[in-house]
Amino acid sequence: MADIIQIDDIVVVTLAGELDNLEANKIRSTISSSIFTGTVKAVIWNLSKLGFMDSAGIGLILGRMRDLAPYKGETFILNPSPTMEKIFSFSGLASNIRHGSVDSVLGEIGGVLHEK
Amino acid sequence: MRNEMTLSFVAIEENEALARMALTCFITPLDPTLEEISEFKTIVSEAVTNSIIHGYNCDGESLVTIHAQIDGQKVSMTVEDHGEGIFDIEQAMEPMFTTKPLMERSGMGFTIMESFSDHLSVESTPGNGTIVRFEKMFSPVTEASRMR
Repeated sequence: MADIIQIDDIVVVTLAGELDNLEANKIRSTISSSIFTGTVKAVIWNLSKLGFMDSAGIGLILGRMRDLAPYKGETFILNPSPTMEKIFSFSGLASNIRHGSVDSVLGEIGGVLHEK
Repeated sequence: MRNEMTLSFVAIEENEALARMALTCFITPLDPTLEEISEFKTIVSEAVTNSIIHGYNCDGESLVTIHAQIDGQKVSMTVEDHGEGIFDIEQAMEPMFTTKPLMERSGMGFTIMESFSDHLSVESTPGNGTIVRFEKMFSPVTEASRMR
């Protein structure tokens, strides 16, 4: 299940349940269209409520990073479980991981975008 | 303890969750930690997804078979299909290599299976199918955690 909200130029995707290949196929286009609505500057993947994820999650997030590339958008992965964190690290996404609240990441993005 | 099971199902994506659930129940008597459960579930999910998507192209007819065995704290498992097979196993096991980039497969399946298991081997014949075998050791239940 994916809950998508937009705060200014930032899309927050909150995932729940189990993210496998079947689920990724169900939610991919909805998330993509929220990125294509305008000039999205960042996507925050909030995984606090996600119970399970396999490599389909990596495919989903890398795919949306490609969608974001034309806008030079940033990607943040918030609160993955220890197992998910390992999977992200194997895939070269360790530097995108944050722990804390959505607000704390929004604050960080504000700073980053301001510097640009 | 000792236990053994076999599970077969047709190649549809919905059965990835079935395999994860069944195998998670199977290892519950070992009192695994949350992280052990979630690593084990991920291995099962990757192996089964490979058979369903790559082996059989989600044909909804052909069977994927899982055989699992518990010996003490060791779980051994095979995931077998009689599908397409892998033409170059070494290449298939490279991180980020995938034959299905358009389906947004990340190519991380084998890397994850290798990292989360204690032993992994792959046997495959093009046109004849693939068998993935792995073993995972689970930490013994300590007296302290038994008391809780």
